[in-house]
Amino acid sequence: MIFMGVDAGSRAIKVVLAGRDGTVIDRGVADQGVDHAARARALAERLLEARGASLRDVEATVATGYARAAIDFATVRITEITCHARGVRAEAPAAASVIEIGGQDSKVLRLHPGGAVRDFAMNDRCAAGTGRFLEVAAQRLEVRLEDLGHLARRSRAPAAISSMCVVFAETEIIGLLAGGAAAADIAAGIEHSIATRVAALAGRMLADPVVFTGGVALVPGMREALQDALGRSVEIAPSPQFTGALGAALLAREDGER
Amino acid sequence: MRPMKISLREWDARHAELTAAGLAEPSYGGPLSRHAAGGDRRLLKLAFDNSAAALRLWNFLLTEEERLAAARAAGMKIVGAMKDLGTVPVMAYSFPATVAFYPDGAWWLPCFKELSTDLFAIADGLGIDDSFCPVRAMLGAFVSGAHFPRPDLLVASTGATCDDFSAIAQRLQGLGVPILWWEAPHRRPPDPGEEGVELPGGLAAPRAQVEFVRGELVRVREALGALAGTAIDDAALAAGIRAANEIRTVLADLREGVFATPAAPLPSLEMLVAEMLALHFCSDRAEALAVLRDLRDEARARAAAGEGVLPADAVRVFWVNPVADLRVMNLLEDCGGRVCGTEYMICHALDLIPEDVPPMEALARMVLADPMAGSAADRVRRILRDAQRFGAEGLIVSRIPGASHCAWEGAVIAEAAAAAGLPAVEIEVPPVADALRPALRTRIEALVETCRAGGGRAKEEGVGA
Repeated sequence: MIFMGVDAGSRAIKVVLAGRDGTVIDRGVADQGVDHAARARALAERLLEARGASLRDVEATVATGYARAAIDFATVRITEITCHARGVRAEAPAAASVIEIGGQDSKVLRLHPGGAVRDFAMNDRCAAGTGRFLEVAAQRLEVRLEDLGHLARRSRAPAAISSMCVVFAETEIIGLLAGGAAAADIAAGIEHSIATRVAALAGRMLADPVVFTGGVALVPGMREALQDALGRSVEIAPSPQFTGALGAALLAREDGER
Repeated sequence: MRPMKISLREWDARHAELTAAGLAEPSYGGPLSRHAAGGDRRLLKLAFDNSAAALRLWNFLLTEEERLAAARAAGMKIVGAMKDLGTVPVMAYSFPATVAFYPDGAWWLPCFKELSTDLFAIADGLGIDDSFCPVRAMLGAFVSGAHFPRPDLLVASTGATCDDFSAIAQRLQGLGVPILWWEAPHRRPPDPGEEGVELPGGLAAPRAQVEFVRGELVRVREALGALAGTAIDDAALAAGIRAANEIRTVLADLREGVFATPAAPLPSLEMLVAEMLALHFCSDRAEALAVLRDLRDEARARAAAGEGVLPADAVRVFWVNPVADLRVMNLLEDCGGRVCGTEYMICHALDLIPEDVPPMEALARMVLADPMAGSAADRVRRILRDAQRFGAEGLIVSRIPGASHCAWEGAVIAEAAAAAGLPAVEIEVPPVADALRPALRTRIEALVETCRAGGGRAKEEGVGA
């Protein structure tokens, strides 16, 4: 019996397969594209085929992420807020708060002791404070996104960059480069800017322990930047990019059992 | 037909059905689809209540421009009331052969009529760009002259009102449109030992502030008298207040009946439009009362029959601030929520105007009860009180892009709600939010899911699941 979680994010699609007891059977990630459903289906079928199974063998599928409505093979659609909370409950049961920074959204969740969502906050429609900010910066600094964090670690004096707007920030990056600022300092300034934005979003909502999920948690230096901005310790979830898909798979299992 | 939401196209068949069954419509009646005949597609995207009362409401709302044109043709005096939200129209309708309307209402034109987005372009050209509140559409409407006749008298409050609006109205005056300005001061509580006055909504202000506003309103009353060619006595003004209170009473009954009933006898969208009638009467005070009575009676009948437009388990959401895009009210219900209480920044215009004091003082007290005239803390107190009274499970603060009065207040309200154990989310809704629909859906669905899972403090206290 297989239960599936599909996190159709703005940057990447993540799929987690879970068994009857909730253990993870397999997982995979693929780039997002124009046809969300086709890409998600291809990834799911690849994972299932590797186990000699097909979509017909899946008991229940929960889709989450901004493109969840497009996932036509999902049986239920649930927001990232609920799915990340469920994923964190499985991986870090003591967590009281969750910070999730994805490609297009950033979210702060306050959890009940049992792991259910007590309250949440999301960024407004501006992409400042999200992974998109890192993408824009990497492009401007001519480094691969996955190398941006390593670059930031070489910084000696992080640059001051606006946390209010990605478009303005890009203009600032151009200005800093023209003024001779080191790329490493700009990269560190961007991480600090994102962290500052998320800290403002969190306000007084956070309680310890705080768990960091989402693809941006994989970027070296982001956890430290968040800790500086929040003034408290932050732990990265075991597989932060898959937390939402894991939560979705577990919710699929709970839904399938009902 | 059982209560449900239907599209504009479906309303054509429903209208034919109602007409065949003998529905007697007012002069402005007819199929709703005619309002989209000019090519505007926006109405096609909304879901409407299927009752005859809702048909009358929408037809009444969407024919205001025709009503104003008819008033001008009949030689009536037309007063443009700006920003005061509920005071000047009460005075204006007390005068003979005088109608009042809110040019501010043009802020919804780009939503109702997608083809009216040229109003924003005109405002842009006059230096009032999208960093301002969408009420800048009013400036475009004045310049184009396409939506309402130029008022014979334009009256605007300033001071403790919306900064954006003041700037836009000043730009309008700069274009040669004369405006009678009057000042509404920022409300403060009486100092120790200072004489205080009780205001509608459980608020208080110093006697000196009430007297100041009364003096300002006397100037407006004199200008209205000069326009109408006759002064009116306090008895006529008191009659105007009684008529306004009659509308407010019916609206209060409607709100109580709809918000308190589990299966939502009427949708959130129609309730929003109904609340706005208390402000502006849609250029016909007597007809506004009749329209609201119809809606109230429909809601009562549905509630008595145990019928509604939404499932009884829809999550009860208290909604703060009006939305610039009306589709979002539909979206809440698509996401499994329903409105169970509102604070559209016009709550003072829903409270009864005092009838046990002289009429000018009564109106001055109402001005000072305006949520925009007071502190965010006062507003939060009322919101939380009403949210509790209506049994809200969650709260949505809808921000209006560019509107300075809600830029930061939204966060204060959402934080206070969360602290009180009410899950809350802030959303920003531009006049046409189609491209943001997935993002808005995520926020609203997440709130609904959180409430269903027993969010807020309820679960910790053992109330939730």
